[in-house]
Amino acid sequence: MAELNAKLILKKAIPRVLKATVWGALTFFVVYCLPMMLYPTDILPLDYSTLLINFATIVVFFAVVGQLFSGTIIGCGFGIAKAIVIIAYFFAVSDGGVFSVTLPISELTVNLAVDISILLLMIISVNLFNIAKNLLEAITLLTEKSTDIDLS
Amino acid sequence: MKTAIRMLSVATIILWIAIIFFSVTAVYSVMKLGINIGEVQMLPSSNGITFSLPFSITNNGYYELADLNLTTRVTDPDGTVLDLTETFVASIPQGTTVNESHTIPIDLDSILSMDHVPLLLNDSSFNVEIFAGLNFARAVPVQLSTNVTMPWGAPFAHFSVGTVSVSPYNSTHVEASIPVSFENHAILDITGTLKLEFYNDSNEQIASEMASINAPSQQSYAGRVLVYMRQQDISKLTSSENLHIIFETPVFVVEWWEQYG
Repeated sequence: MAELNAKLILKKAIPRVLKATVWGALTFFVVYCLPMMLYPTDILPLDYSTLLINFATIVVFFAVVGQLFSGTIIGCGFGIAKAIVIIAYFFAVSDGGVFSVTLPISELTVNLAVDISILLLMIISVNLFNIAKNLLEAITLLTEKSTDIDLS
Repeated sequence: MKTAIRMLSVATIILWIAIIFFSVTAVYSVMKLGINIGEVQMLPSSNGITFSLPFSITNNGYYELADLNLTTRVTDPDGTVLDLTETFVASIPQGTTVNESHTIPIDLDSILSMDHVPLLLNDSSFNVEIFAGLNFARAVPVQLSTNVTMPWGAPFAHFSVGTVSVSPYNSTHVEASIPVSFENHAILDITGTLKLEFYNDSNEQIASEMASINAPSQQSYAGRVLVYMRQQDISKLTSSENLHIIFETPVFVVEWWEQYG
């Protein structure tokens, strides 16, 4: 029994953990490191590193758990949760589509409002597609399980 | 089912690529914008002065800038709107430069009217609200707003009419000398005529006289208005109660009342 567990861990768990680690690191690089390299914080007059690190944390977490539980119902659940969390995150950060920030420029205080409703709608649609995709995957998994005939 | 899942995956990837591509190119385009704001120019106009703010925008980005709108609203300390000016540029296509200037006409006649007498006599400050808006790539509306306080120097600050001194002029008339002083804190030189009209408590005019005045900007003026009267009428002048002050220049006329005596 113990030998079987060890074999299972070696064959299934370790590759998944390794894959999840690599996937997490890659996601962090693409979501956080790459934008920070392209647009360092001193180029634009607002501190977006905090927003970016929060977004990177969410995305990396779901990338890792998505890889760990890929091909399972739990994985589909995390996929749906990821979509909902990303929608909520963008909705909260953009204040419902109108991103407002106060910039101190020399002696003036400048209020900047950027209406990113169209971008927010695109992000919401992508994530709705993701939810639909994960639901369909979950249904497929459940259907395959229920139609499998154990001949042993 | 698997085809549907695949199609959804493809749609998701395409949408993510579109979002990332637009976001990256939009930020890059904003960074490539060249905005130059020139120095404020003060130009004389038929009814006052005009402030002109030249600016140029060079669009080196990937997207068009549309509906550029620059609005300034000048209000006095009580919130009364003195000026509302808008400059509109319909479109700045990519790779083009637009040179414009935002002009704020100041109608001295309306500002220096009876409604704004405190502004003539006391230094104050105007609140200038600046709004700027544009439509980036006809998809992302952007708005900027800020407040600036502009000091207002009163043209007749510390205006005072001193005590009348009387001296004999000839056998029938006397010369009454009325000292007038003020400080010109305004940005314009004040050149024109000052007319003083003395009224008694029954609102009857007792005397009036005119004097030429020249008070350069940021300088004090101290002069005398000389009134010639019959000897028996001098007591009316010294006991008069109301003073009507009329100041006239080629550009504007201002008048106000002061208690006297």
